[in-house]
Amino acid sequence: MKPIFLPEVENNPQPSPTTDLIRAAQSAGTEYPQIWHLFAYRAQATGNLGAFTQEMMRGECPLSPGIRELIAAFTSYGNDCPF
Amino acid sequence: MPHIQLSEGLPGIRGLFAFRPETAKPLCELAEVLLHTPGTLSLAERELIATYVSSENDCYYCQTAHGAIAACHLEGNEKLVLNVKRDFEHAAVSEKLKSLLAIAGKVQRGGKNVQAGDVERARRQGATDQEIHDTVLIAAAFCMYNRYVDGLATWAPPDPASYRERAAKVARDGYQGIPADVQAAQAGRT
Repeated sequence: MKPIFLPEVENNPQPSPTTDLIRAAQSAGTEYPQIWHLFAYRAQATGNLGAFTQEMMRGECPLSPGIRELIAAFTSYGNDCPF
Repeated sequence: MPHIQLSEGLPGIRGLFAFRPETAKPLCELAEVLLHTPGTLSLAERELIATYVSSENDCYYCQTAHGAIAACHLEGNEKLVLNVKRDFEHAAVSEKLKSLLAIAGKVQRGGKNVQAGDVERARRQGATDQEIHDTVLIAAAFCMYNRYVDGLATWAPPDPASYRERAAKVARDGYQGIPADVQAAQAGRT
């Protein structure tokens, strides 16, 4: 995988569940989505993003989780973001 | 008129916070970390980045609310806030902030517009990786807040002067905790 623009971000993961995922993928030699580096770097901020996403995607709502994921996938496709 | 039924009297994102408390909490806490947590970027610089991105997204509520907060951090210099929105490359701000605003502007037009040269420019002006990281996250988060506010056609007071009082309070106390009037509207909904 190509390094991300900011090596300090990539090389300074804070203790977090995402950091454990990165370590596991690295030791298994498998590729992983690099958004994990962003989540691991500034856990204080991205923890809130995670809580927001959890509520949006899985919280109580008449739209099923499947439909909500479809809206997210459709928007990401429109933004040309494959992940 | 908003596209959905919101509490009257709460402008912009505040009406949306009252509508959906579960998502309001993490969104407020994200704003607190990005805009009101001490770091090497000053609170004025953070608010200017948020204001500039909101202005590029043509979001009246966000650019006026955060522009007023930025001015509070700049001893009331509303002219500087206006100059940053109009033409930051010629505004009286540091070369480092100009390079970060350039990155924020590219994120606003689409993340893939940020090129290695933009990051290099910021590094040459002394920006750290954390500052570049926070700039991109502030810009990306405000694209979300701006689209949220305008995508539901929320109401915003037209007079910029009416934003000053609340701005002074936010500049001092930050974004943590749901304001009393929003809490009251939340309670009224349940």
